[in-house]
Amino acid sequence: MTVKNGDLVNVQAITKAFGDNHVLDGVSFTVPAGSATTVIGPSGSGKTTLLRSLNALDVPDSGVISIGDITVDFARPISKDTISRYRAQSAMVFQAHNLFPHKTVLQNVTEGPLVAQRRSIEEVTSEAIGLLDRVGLADKRDDFPYQLSGGQQQRVGIARALALRPKLVLFDEPTSALDPELVGEVLAVIRDLATEGWTLVIVTHEIQFARQVSDQVLFIDGGKVLEQGPPSSVIGAPIHERTRQFLDRVLNPL
Amino acid sequence: MRLRRGIILLAITMMAALTLNACGSKSTGRDALDSGVLRVGTEGTYSPFSYHDQTTRELVGYDVDVARAAGDKIGVRVEFVETPWDSIFAALEANRFDVVANQVSITPARQSKYDMSEPYSVSEGVIVTRTDDTSITSLADLTGRTAAQSMTSNWAQVARDAGARVEAVEGFTQAIKLLNQGRVDVVVNDSIAVYAYLAQTGDTSVKIAAQTGQKSTQGFAARKNSGLLPDLNTAIEELRRDGTLAAISQKYLNANATGAPTPASPAGQQSTWQLIRNNLVPLAKATITKTIPLTIISFVIGLAIALVVALARLSHNVLLHNAARLFISIIRGTPLLVQLFIVFFALPELHIKIDPFPAAVIAFSLNVGGYGAEIIRSAIKSVPKGQWEAAQTIGLGYAGALRRIVLPQAARVAVPPLSNTLISLVKDTSLASTILVTELLRTAQIAAAPTFEFFALYGTAAVYYWVICLALSFAQGRVEQRLERHVAR
Repeated sequence: MTVKNGDLVNVQAITKAFGDNHVLDGVSFTVPAGSATTVIGPSGSGKTTLLRSLNALDVPDSGVISIGDITVDFARPISKDTISRYRAQSAMVFQAHNLFPHKTVLQNVTEGPLVAQRRSIEEVTSEAIGLLDRVGLADKRDDFPYQLSGGQQQRVGIARALALRPKLVLFDEPTSALDPELVGEVLAVIRDLATEGWTLVIVTHEIQFARQVSDQVLFIDGGKVLEQGPPSSVIGAPIHERTRQFLDRVLNPL
Repeated sequence: MRLRRGIILLAITMMAALTLNACGSKSTGRDALDSGVLRVGTEGTYSPFSYHDQTTRELVGYDVDVARAAGDKIGVRVEFVETPWDSIFAALEANRFDVVANQVSITPARQSKYDMSEPYSVSEGVIVTRTDDTSITSLADLTGRTAAQSMTSNWAQVARDAGARVEAVEGFTQAIKLLNQGRVDVVVNDSIAVYAYLAQTGDTSVKIAAQTGQKSTQGFAARKNSGLLPDLNTAIEELRRDGTLAAISQKYLNANATGAPTPASPAGQQSTWQLIRNNLVPLAKATITKTIPLTIISFVIGLAIALVVALARLSHNVLLHNAARLFISIIRGTPLLVQLFIVFFALPELHIKIDPFPAAVIAFSLNVGGYGAEIIRSAIKSVPKGQWEAAQTIGLGYAGALRRIVLPQAARVAVPPLSNTLISLVKDTSLASTILVTELLRTAQIAAAPTFEFFALYGTAAVYYWVICLALSFAQGRVEQRLERHVAR
């Protein structure tokens, strides 16, 4: 299998079960290079597992995923080396940011490029300072994570992901753990990334944000992609009953 | 005559069992004679039989001198190995030396287990009273009186059989103290111990009032079928004939039993403060050259073991996991003293002979490894899973994630309990005194032995331990402060 011209990611029929719980049940989709894909769906639908599969934090039981020039068939035994090359294609921004509390903001950003990618300290440092500037935190470089607000912490998390120079950036509900007034600053950073041509996959509950930012929306339920397409159709004019119910619940909680 | 309390009887019994089961390729004492060196085990803290002279610091004493003289007669060089009484027979069995010279009473039980030489000292049971007490002149006068006796001693039974009420005490010195204070009427013990006490202390407030009639004899003990007996017995016989034995006895026991013994103790008189002052430097030296290095080396190696074992226990590999659990269970489930004894006394049976200091390092490291493993395991588990995932996602492998991300955070949790382990270890190193490491406590024992001033010197040693632990507690505070600086307060 090869990646179709223009697609950065090609997911083919992946499945994943935790015990008897079939979290992913044959999920397939593609992500064009330079596009933003949002994944929406009820909790427990498998969207986070799907995202984690793209970074091999969860390893699918079967199916094939191509990212860039790496293709992994999960039905076969996979070497550690393959996993680490596969993982290196993407970078993850976690819901709970998972910053390293014992490292400064700058060290959080430079750790991966310096230690895992073994790039030079001068290059990595100047790039990291540039990234921190871009997420509006250049003056916080020597602070420790506990000294930052939740929104600032999440923006450091984004800079840390970008510093790895990934082909694909994954966001796992990046604003769900934030106080409402801090959500905007994080979404603004993600929106800018989308505009700049990064390839993004974002799991989110922010429907308005998904509508504004994404080129493609996936609605997932019961471990399957029920609906996919541009936001104008999936969010604006859903065909599937489940999608309509979900959107109605999220948009009109009362 | 030495029938002392067996605090570590269990360990010795175990050692004995091990040694009895060991195969028969044991080296005999004859090899020793052929090599021209006779290794003699002795306490070094049992005045006036085996102790260090306070001014010259040399090993001297009744048994030491007899052993030296016997070696001269046989024509071999005598090398002394100082071992606490409680482990002296285990060490003999483990071939740490060839004979014991430490007032070993010749009993049928010992004769069946060891080669016992002809006696080189003979003692008899005596009844000690206050000098002004004339009411007791024979064993029969003990009826209805109160005696202070060490409970495990055969003299307690003698007193009881004579109709005395027996107050249990820790040892002879304490018994005499009760007698002095008028709390008891008599102390029954053997004449040599009493001579020794009188000669050492110059105490004139007590006297030997009567004999009990029991005699006991003391000789050298060697391993069974050592082949040493003919030479030893001939030597003792010659020493007896040429008057050497009598001279040695006179020198150390001052044993002219009629008058008050003149206080010509080999130590000379010294005030307690003087004694402490004189020993401050030797104790400090033992602390710096033995106790502290032993603690540091064992702790560092122990931490490395602990980390490996903790990781094995956290591993999904069943074999590794269970091996780690077994190790932790054994280390935590057996006394440290027994672990020390196994390394030092039992391994030689398997022809692995390790010197005292490294043997202590091995035992203490393994012990720290067992306890530390659980501390480190729980500390690693306290680091949130998200930290592992974040480390993975930025490209770190298991080792990198562990070293750069997880362990630094686990350290914050592990430092307080590991400090506990370290502080315990400082004091546990005193157990190394039982396997011939002349660390702080052992040095205090040696200094205290000829003077009966145990409290002063043990107290000084305790202060040294305390000072080390104070310094460690201070250091712990600093380290904790450093590790806490990334955490919101």
